[in-house]
Amino acid sequence: MSAVARLLARRPARLRILSASGQLGYGIPAEAFAEGVRRGPDFIGADMGSVDPGPAFLGSGEIATSPQATRRDLALVLQAARAIDVPLIIGTAGTAGAAPHLETTLALLREIACEHGLRFRMASIRADLPRERVRRALAAGELRALGAHLPVTDADLDACTHLVGQMGCEPFERALALEPDVIVAGRACDTAIFASIPKRLGFNMAHVMHLSKIIECTSVCCEPGGRDAMLADLDHEGFVIESMNPNRRATPLSVAAHSLYEQADPTRFTEPDGTLYVTGARYEAVDARRTRVSSATWEPAAQTTLKVEGAARVGHRAVLLCATVDPGFIRRIEQTLAEVEAITRSMVEGAYRLYPRLYGLDAARLSPRGEVGTPREVFVLVEVIADEAALALAAAKTFKQYFLHHGFPGRQCTGGNVAFPFTPPELAAGEAWRFAVYHVMPAPDAPALFPVTVEGVGG
Amino acid sequence: MPTLAELATVVRSKNAGPLMLSFDLMFPDRATFERALAAGSLSATRIAELYGVPPAQVAVVPYPVAHAIKIALPRLIVAGSPGDRDVYGAQQHAPLLGLEL
Repeated sequence: MSAVARLLARRPARLRILSASGQLGYGIPAEAFAEGVRRGPDFIGADMGSVDPGPAFLGSGEIATSPQATRRDLALVLQAARAIDVPLIIGTAGTAGAAPHLETTLALLREIACEHGLRFRMASIRADLPRERVRRALAAGELRALGAHLPVTDADLDACTHLVGQMGCEPFERALALEPDVIVAGRACDTAIFASIPKRLGFNMAHVMHLSKIIECTSVCCEPGGRDAMLADLDHEGFVIESMNPNRRATPLSVAAHSLYEQADPTRFTEPDGTLYVTGARYEAVDARRTRVSSATWEPAAQTTLKVEGAARVGHRAVLLCATVDPGFIRRIEQTLAEVEAITRSMVEGAYRLYPRLYGLDAARLSPRGEVGTPREVFVLVEVIADEAALALAAAKTFKQYFLHHGFPGRQCTGGNVAFPFTPPELAAGEAWRFAVYHVMPAPDAPALFPVTVEGVGG
Repeated sequence: MPTLAELATVVRSKNAGPLMLSFDLMFPDRATFERALAAGSLSATRIAELYGVPPAQVAVVPYPVAHAIKIALPRLIVAGSPGDRDVYGAQQHAPLLGLEL
């Protein structure tokens, strides 16, 4: 009997859920995870992805974490789940959850199984959306940008190398029906990783979704926050959460405050399956390190909506890195940048875009610049984007030389205007990407969009 | 008058998806939270000025249970696109620090 089949047959009145990682692949703290496993969880869940790292990973199909650390983390959770024979659920495989990310993750799990002589049934759920399906939504005016303006056209959809939908609980429930030991999903809601089993077991969905929302980030909801494994103990009246690192306290305030994290609205959370309202939620201290949570409310969705994510290649990137300490150069540096760009364009023909950033002069700021004065040192990063890698690098090289030797009134530093930290100071930085789609669409056909397969691994 | 940096325990920014920036201002107790809410400096209009976006696109949401105020507004550039300056949006809180409460 598989781990999932046994858990579902047992129908426990209390369910202990271990969240191993909010971003598997960066290194799961082993001690806290081991403590969580010792507590005898009914299943283990781990999130493996996010849009946070930007469009490059969804676009390229590569994973953000190193193969070495990713393999270590996967081995840690897989071996633990098999040792105590409980289900393991992994969501948003390989950072972005498109086909190549899922394949890479499945391949690593098969390798680990082979190496450690593990045998199990593994279900996998794909999250790639047919381009035609998204195109239909666009034509019907059903694609709505999530939170702000992001115009999208058929050409944008064509330019996306990968288009994924973020699955809710339904595909996981179909995977559970196949009675696997391990479920690995492509792009998925973080909550669905933890919510699908308790949903299937008939626990109150308000508790289930609230719990999932909190523990998907592991110990981030604690004081002090961290990345250690988090345990939730769910019953029919609410749930208790506890960090598996004894130095992290889940207090009523720290847990309530977690609702703010990375959300536009801290009081309600819209998921494919419905909306969670936490305004009326109660947070009570069990002791100094544990908090009991209850009384959120859940409204099932009248119609399933899906978040759609797509990344398109915008060209190749080259970067130039240098710094300046000359006060006269710093005072007119923006004018110099414009002059050197004009010279570069007269020397290097072709279509490319230049984005200089002046660190020390509000370079990291997305809003209008403040009053800065003349800093002692300014770091200059020039990003060049072109269709061809060679052209981006050519522009960066010429820009570098004319920037170094550019003349200006009152110039004293005639040896050179900037300091290079190493050579070459202009680097090819690979392909450049953008999020072309970050929208929601109604999807009554959602079950057909996330196909599930199951395989026997090992043995 | 004291500034937000002096009164708040947490002043953080982070993307809420690649199209939005979200800010969490957390205060040590109920009284300080209410003082911050009452001060006009955290109005949508003032925040909109600071971040160069239309006031209608700025949401300021009090979250009393955590003595916190949430602010959400659109990013001027989609996270990770060429020319972006802060892919995670984690360093956009500085313009708020000097606001007088």
